[in-house]
Amino acid sequence: MSMRHIIGAVIVCAGLAVAGRTVLAHHAFGAEFDPNAPIRLQGKVVRLEWVNPHTWIHMEVVRDGKPEVWMVEGGTPNTLLRRGITRDTVAVGTEIIVDGYQTKDHSLKRANGRDVTFTDGRKLFMGSSGTGAPRDGRDPTEGGTKPAPKKPGGR
Amino acid sequence: MENSARRPFSSIAVAFGLAVVASAGLIAQQKPPASVAKSWTLARTPDGKPDLQGIWTNATMTPLQRPPNVKSLVLSEEEARKMELAALERRDRLNEPSDPNRPAPPQGGDGSTGAAGNVGGYNNFWLDPGERVAIVDGQRRSSLIIDPPDGRIPARTPEAQARQAARAKQAMGRGQYDHPEYRPLAERCLLSFGPTTPLVPNYFYNNNLQIVQTPDHVMILMEMVHDARIVRIGGTHLPKHIRPWMGDSIGHWEGDTLVVDTTNFPPQQNFQGSSENLHVVERFRRVDADTINYRFTVTDPTTFTAPFTGEIPFKAMDELIYEYACHEGNYALANVLSGARNEEKRLGTKQEK
Repeated sequence: MSMRHIIGAVIVCAGLAVAGRTVLAHHAFGAEFDPNAPIRLQGKVVRLEWVNPHTWIHMEVVRDGKPEVWMVEGGTPNTLLRRGITRDTVAVGTEIIVDGYQTKDHSLKRANGRDVTFTDGRKLFMGSSGTGAPRDGRDPTEGGTKPAPKKPGGR
Repeated sequence: MENSARRPFSSIAVAFGLAVVASAGLIAQQKPPASVAKSWTLARTPDGKPDLQGIWTNATMTPLQRPPNVKSLVLSEEEARKMELAALERRDRLNEPSDPNRPAPPQGGDGSTGAAGNVGGYNNFWLDPGERVAIVDGQRRSSLIIDPPDGRIPARTPEAQARQAARAKQAMGRGQYDHPEYRPLAERCLLSFGPTTPLVPNYFYNNNLQIVQTPDHVMILMEMVHDARIVRIGGTHLPKHIRPWMGDSIGHWEGDTLVVDTTNFPPQQNFQGSSENLHVVERFRRVDADTINYRFTVTDPTTFTAPFTGEIPFKAMDELIYEYACHEGNYALANVLSGARNEEKRLGTKQEK
């Protein structure tokens, strides 16, 4: 068995190899969002709810010439708090682009934040490795292949 | 002390028939790095017990079960390094900017599988999965399960298979969306979506825990979903009909190892399809300044054809646990229920046509 097989198999079993750039959440996204209602939103952040189990980003978009406030579901804030990211990291008024799927109840203006970026395509935040385990410099892989930004998401 | 603590452990491992870790004895005899040996002595609580207190993480990329095509429990340093690098490269790839002119995702779903249900989830940056291979007694591990020797959960009994099928059928039924209390415990913010016992990681995020000790009790607080399990030291289990959310845990010390025995799990909880007869024995052993070796054995004769045992290193964290403060119904639960109502209306209209 080749190294490639070992690596691939272990990673798959660890649940890391999820499709594309998005990932599964702690509840049934398939029961909450409608695969037949894809949506692209662009607008300014008006409020962030930095709560568990899911962060919600409220944004104002213009649809059919009228302003609407949409809510976008994200993940747990705890992981971002550990990287120094708070709800104040993204200022109200910041313009963002979201692609996702609308809730199955179409009367709600809500969607999953399948991909949330700034208007130039950069991710709203950056993923970083590490879980708080001690880092002592003995491990050459520490910090990843690129330095993990301490306060990602900022300009 | 280091050697005396490790020797019985390696004997137990060999007794478990881990032919695959034939080198365990040798590794156990190896002295730890000089810097660790010099700087660390086992801290003890005022009553003389090993001090397990602190904040720990059980995050790891080593899966619970060994992939079927991987033969050995022990990975080489090179294999482990490549796996860790692959995870970091993946993270870097997912950090790359998206096309700002991207359209809405595809009509009909984006092809995601599993619980994400074809609508994707959310960005990778929310996640904090384990990006390290688990190292136990100097061995880089390909699975958390060490026994059976193939690193796999033993076959389920016919009774367990029937139970699983019934559960799956129930989960598929439309009735599951008829009442908030029909939804899973995690979705309702009652308990973590990982098992509370044994303490295996969820491979997503917040795999952190705090241990607090008194002479009479040990408290294990999991960050997800603020699950605080209280272990009584000494005594006997509750009567069988009393089934606390996290089961009933009683502990005792075997030398410097804390042994915790948990039974009386409620029907709403299961581990890998277990029944009400689930019985978990956990062993916590502090092995250096940064590490508790955690070992668990799962027994449930009405579910598994044999017991199985796993090991996970708990690594000390230099950060605090964040309150998880799960808000039941933080939109998602209501969205799921109102989505089902919407679906019923839609299907009802269709039928009338």
